[in-house]
Amino acid sequence: MDAPSYMLSKIAEKDNLSVYELFFGPNHPGMHGNFGYVLEMIGTEIVKVRPNAGHLHRGFEKLMEQKLWVQNLALVPRICVVDPDPNEVAYCTAIEKIMGVEIPDRAKFIRTITLEMSRLTSFLMGMGALVAALGLYTPMYIMMADRDLLLDLFEWLTGARIYHIFNIPGGVRNDLPDGWVERLNEVLDILEKRLLEYDKLVFENPIIHKRLKGMGYVSKEDAMKDGITGPNLRASGGAFDVRVDDPYAAYPYLDVKVITQDGGDALTRAVQVRLEFEETIKLIRQALKEMPEGDVRLNLGNLSMLKVPKGEAYAKVESSKGEFGYYVVSDGGLKPYRVGVRGPSLPAGLLYAQKHLPKMKIDDVAAWMASLAICPPDIDK
Amino acid sequence: MKMQKSDVIKQLVDRGNKVYDLYENQIALEVKKDNLLNDLVFLRSIGFEHLSFITAVDFIDEGEFEVVYHVWSYTHKIHILVKVRIDRKEPILPTVNNLWEQAQFYEQEVHEFFGIKFEGNNDLSPLFLENWVDIPPLRKDFDTREFSIRLYDAEVDGGDI
Repeated sequence: MDAPSYMLSKIAEKDNLSVYELFFGPNHPGMHGNFGYVLEMIGTEIVKVRPNAGHLHRGFEKLMEQKLWVQNLALVPRICVVDPDPNEVAYCTAIEKIMGVEIPDRAKFIRTITLEMSRLTSFLMGMGALVAALGLYTPMYIMMADRDLLLDLFEWLTGARIYHIFNIPGGVRNDLPDGWVERLNEVLDILEKRLLEYDKLVFENPIIHKRLKGMGYVSKEDAMKDGITGPNLRASGGAFDVRVDDPYAAYPYLDVKVITQDGGDALTRAVQVRLEFEETIKLIRQALKEMPEGDVRLNLGNLSMLKVPKGEAYAKVESSKGEFGYYVVSDGGLKPYRVGVRGPSLPAGLLYAQKHLPKMKIDDVAAWMASLAICPPDIDK
Repeated sequence: MKMQKSDVIKQLVDRGNKVYDLYENQIALEVKKDNLLNDLVFLRSIGFEHLSFITAVDFIDEGEFEVVYHVWSYTHKIHILVKVRIDRKEPILPTVNNLWEQAQFYEQEVHEFFGIKFEGNNDLSPLFLENWVDIPPLRKDFDTREFSIRLYDAEVDGGDI
């Protein structure tokens, strides 16, 4: 008997006794992006986990040292595909901090609106991925269709659906076009109404409760010291939000409500996203109402000749997955000296995988990943 | 209890460190390699419990690496860049993975991209690059263009550098 078929028959015969390795990803329907876990399995139960990162490593940090300040704007949104705007804003904010300039108020509000729209698209994608991992494909299709309404608005505003490259050092590229705000209001109304449908299809669905309850518990203390941020931290009871604690863009002028829950498990995190989705819609309406008139960008001269003075800054943004940070060092030249990126997914994706996944069944891995909103591109960079 | 930024700066200066007041809610702290663990433990004890990430900067002209530990306090709402300079020829630092568990992966990353060793960290295996043979790629003396030409044995035709 040759080796492969011998292995298979051995597993089939002694299901409980033989340990085998299973590659969950990089090419797997339940995996988000090209990332993988090498799972050591007994039967259908996981024994040990080895994260298999690097398939998405594109060398952005090195590449950014070789491009002009403004050219890098085409690179940064690609670090997180589903929630691109926080990258642009964090990178631009870091540059503005080093230069010591403050952007016009209207630009701050437009940045805030695009950030919150990006959060909505990411939440829709995240909720869709979670329910699809549990076999509920219909709500996922509805959510993807709803996400497209927002992408249409992004296309109208910036010319691009996913990578907008809309924020630039000194503000945003252009003002809101005529009729855009009205359409945004319509879309927000549609999304708000749709939430009731999501509630029926997803959040009141017994399958969701049965599968997610108790899965992947994170306590507040663990989350705070292990670097878990954003909705995951707030679902464990930590009332912390970068938008409130270290405000940027127009958040100092807005009333951001920090929602917290105490559960700390996957079900609580799923509900957390739904609650924050509702709050984000309100926040966009608030920003639209309070948006002042005026300029949308500073005149910093020819941006492709932009020189940022010697210095360093760390700027962070509350993305849909947690704290997104850019550490920018300048030596006064035409290119950054060093850009370091802090993605929100690393603590959950690498550390908590090793804590949570052992003893879990193979069926739960995709749902567990989606519940922690793990986005591998920002681990690999 | 929430401390003001000036109080935090005063406490750090009293410990004999160099502190730079960078921006609102952000300060930079220069520490010595031998004091690194003491200072990080001290920062944690006064409420800086969140480690954002660890990164490094290659100051090749000065012959030094600068490793930066980003810590944030949920109580005081202050971000501190804890910076430590080490010799480029002998890049060794003590590990902090017993202070913060996630530091394990940041240290693996910094080791992979800069070649900095972390004493006490037993697993510095590469996370991202497969079969990497050259010098660590985020060092300033690593030339991507020259590397690609060498790796693929390419004939150079045009290009702007």
